[in-house]
Amino acid sequence: MDEDTAIGGFADRFPSTQLSLVEATAAGLSSEAMDRIVALYWKPVYRFIRLKFRKNNEDAKDLTQGFFAAALQRDFFPSFDPAKGSFRNYVRMAVERFAANQHAAATRQKRGGEAEFEPLEDQAAPVGSPEQAFEREWQRQLFGLAVDDLREHSEACGKQLQFQIFQAYDLAAGERPSYAELAAQHDLPESSITNYLAWARRMLRGFVTERLRGTTAGPNELRDEARRLWI
Amino acid sequence: MDLSDSVLDHLRQAAAQPDLTGTRYELESEIGRGGMGVVYAARDCQLERRVALKIFDATLAGEAQLMAQLEHPAIVPVYEAGTLPDGRAFYAMKLISGARLDRYLARQPRLPSQQPNTRVAGDPGLAERLRIFRRAGEAVAYAHSRGVIHRDLKPQNVMVGEFGEVYVMDWGVGAVAGTPAFRAPDALLDRRSDIYSLGALLRFLLPEPGPAALRAVCAKAMNADPAGRYPDVPALLADVERFEQALPVEAWSEPLWHAARRFASRNALLLWLLAAYTAAKFLLFFLRKF
Repeated sequence: MDEDTAIGGFADRFPSTQLSLVEATAAGLSSEAMDRIVALYWKPVYRFIRLKFRKNNEDAKDLTQGFFAAALQRDFFPSFDPAKGSFRNYVRMAVERFAANQHAAATRQKRGGEAEFEPLEDQAAPVGSPEQAFEREWQRQLFGLAVDDLREHSEACGKQLQFQIFQAYDLAAGERPSYAELAAQHDLPESSITNYLAWARRMLRGFVTERLRGTTAGPNELRDEARRLWI
Repeated sequence: MDLSDSVLDHLRQAAAQPDLTGTRYELESEIGRGGMGVVYAARDCQLERRVALKIFDATLAGEAQLMAQLEHPAIVPVYEAGTLPDGRAFYAMKLISGARLDRYLARQPRLPSQQPNTRVAGDPGLAERLRIFRRAGEAVAYAHSRGVIHRDLKPQNVMVGEFGEVYVMDWGVGAVAGTPAFRAPDALLDRRSDIYSLGALLRFLLPEPGPAALRAVCAKAMNADPAGRYPDVPALLADVERFEQALPVEAWSEPLWHAARRFASRNALLLWLLAAYTAAKFLLFFLRKF
């Protein structure tokens, strides 16, 4: 069995479509691979810049945009060395350097002035450090994208009901309905609710793993990142 | 899709739960987790008994085969191994009722340092602590004889059952880094690395500062240079047994006064008889004189 596939699930149950970063880079990083990286990291980068450098919404957006533009121009992603750590940390440290340089340049332009810190007006109280916020946002984005993948997959293979039950139970913002309530609502036996949820969670796990696979260097980093994710 | 903190945490937890569809097991609760995987209490619905279910990456499935080959009273028996629908591997094993060694000792008061052999109510006592150590050591010695090394020996991986039985858990086959306080500073982990970890385990079990001879045994087992350690686990256990029998340990050149004291404690009855005989002789001598 392919070791990569074994981490996320059996090849015949959850086909792997993603190349690892190293494989994708070797094949010349495609725009699709780049899109996946940007989709996963845009919000964590934005959030990190806001908290670490106390930038307002617009400045943080500009810096985030600037970071990804510079990363593409300077072949930043292909120069990632997996021997030196995870891709997630590589991105965070690169953002920190990039934003610090930009911040210093902006400060120099203000003649004799001190760096101007914007108030965190519309931000929720930060939990922990900017580094922790970066990781949390990364998790949120990863799972959010995987839920989108699951929805698309459910529609494509006619399993909308399974997704509806998953949405009603696992994505419930407040109190969760009981399995019995869901069974009555959809006129199904309770065991079907259990099975539908098990299917949706298994697929979600697979989609999370697939998203991770496309943004990690290989099986070892993928396994390490996966371990950090599952509570 | 934007997820709230509570939904994100729930999803992380829900998606991490093992999918036991199509197996004979029903999940009860998580009972532990480590570098190698997560252990759950589960119910075997066919045999109507509770088991411990260990879930881990399929790439480490060799661990189950390895565990199944180890048959020893201090190694938890594996009932069954397999792969879950989500691709992860699992094995079912006997569910031990008892406590991890660190918790077992934490709920007992430590031995008073000045009187290491004094037993406090509820305290396992030095002899009991050494019994636990020997049982764990015997399991490791057996595994080494089968070509298996543990790689992550520490109090959290030793269980003391409710009848006093001792089990060594979490046998590693993957690239486990080990736990810093118990891990040998060796670049490559081998049998000598397990001997180092056993030395650290013995040190953990001893009261502070502990008998000098046993401290020396720990120091020898934990020598930074693998060549300076005991050559194998039986040699380490033999030294501990020598201490228990009040014989000199190999790891320590004891001072003369210590040897005399040890001789006295080992031959207390003989010395008392000798003293009584000498006193009687003196008494008779003086009675005859006066």
